[in-house]
Amino acid sequence: MKFCQYPHWLVKRFYNTREFNQVRLILRKFNLRTVCEEARCPNMSECFSKKRFTLLILGNKCTRNCRFCFVKKGKPILFYEEEVDNICQAVICLGIKHLVLTSVSRDDLPDKGAEHFARIIRRMKFLQPSVVVEALIPDFGSKEALIELVVKSGLDVLNHNIETVPRLYPQIRPDANYHTSLKVLKIAKKFGSLTKSGLILGLGEKKKEVKRVMNDLSKIGVDILTLGQYLRPGENSLEVKEYINPQTFSYYREIAEGIGFKYVLAGPFVRSSYLAEEIFTAIKDKFRSI
Amino acid sequence: MPEIILPELGEGITQATISYWYFEEGEHVEEGVDLVELATEKTTFNLPTPCSGILKKIYANVGEIVKVGDLLAIIE
Repeated sequence: MKFCQYPHWLVKRFYNTREFNQVRLILRKFNLRTVCEEARCPNMSECFSKKRFTLLILGNKCTRNCRFCFVKKGKPILFYEEEVDNICQAVICLGIKHLVLTSVSRDDLPDKGAEHFARIIRRMKFLQPSVVVEALIPDFGSKEALIELVVKSGLDVLNHNIETVPRLYPQIRPDANYHTSLKVLKIAKKFGSLTKSGLILGLGEKKKEVKRVMNDLSKIGVDILTLGQYLRPGENSLEVKEYINPQTFSYYREIAEGIGFKYVLAGPFVRSSYLAEEIFTAIKDKFRSI
Repeated sequence: MPEIILPELGEGITQATISYWYFEEGEHVEEGVDLVELATEKTTFNLPTPCSGILKKIYANVGEIVKVGDLLAIIE
């Protein structure tokens, strides 16, 4: 007898390894947060076991109210300058080769938190130039100077998630704007960055709408695309409208590859930073030869 | 006798529902193979076996809700 709550393809192995626990200890030691933990990512044990994680900087309270996201909302907390050195020390201590940074939206700050991103990236590159740094940024109000600041700080990959299709923005991302997010990626490309974006599926979008978004992203030169399934993180979160099966993810991947993305990762458990290191390794030479 | 305890499957995930036992009591299990499927608020996890041996006793049946730290099984 089997108790079935989810489709059969939504099963994730739990890795209760030494490395998993070591990463958690080091993160606590340096007073660092990860979006993996805050958002209850199902890949957490797998990624931590490989010493992979996505650091959440600028506090853990977001000024936006995206309905799919489990990160806390409300009055943001003051972030601390020591975070810069703490991150670098943790990365060196764990021997991380590919660092992924993300943040809550900080619409309360004049620079939206861009300078803090840049400080961390510059410091990391100064201490350990070989570390690849990927930043999954909020939209910074699509202000060119802020995006330029982050891109030119020594960043290797700029990620900004489009998240969903334009029609669903009012329900899913009420404080964001589809065209603003496209503009962020366009500006990053203008300054020469390798760019990446992603969608979470299962929120009620239609196939033709997903294809339109993929076309829009491709037109502005986005290099890497990730497509994953929305999973409800808690009882008060938005309900899953549809469980997308693996065949449909393959269908989207084939279309996206045909459109011209350099790398497409699609699957139920794909998240925007999942296998980030492998993706970067796979396409870096291709990107640099352009 | 190694005890199989429900670990913390994610930040703030305090419980899970037993979905399926891949083995029955008395069967031999190999280290690393999936032992039990657990449904949480967000998704389903497979918990692998930490060591080889005989699955001596199962303490939580399919459909039962278990909390982090609860004893799920014993391997001898």
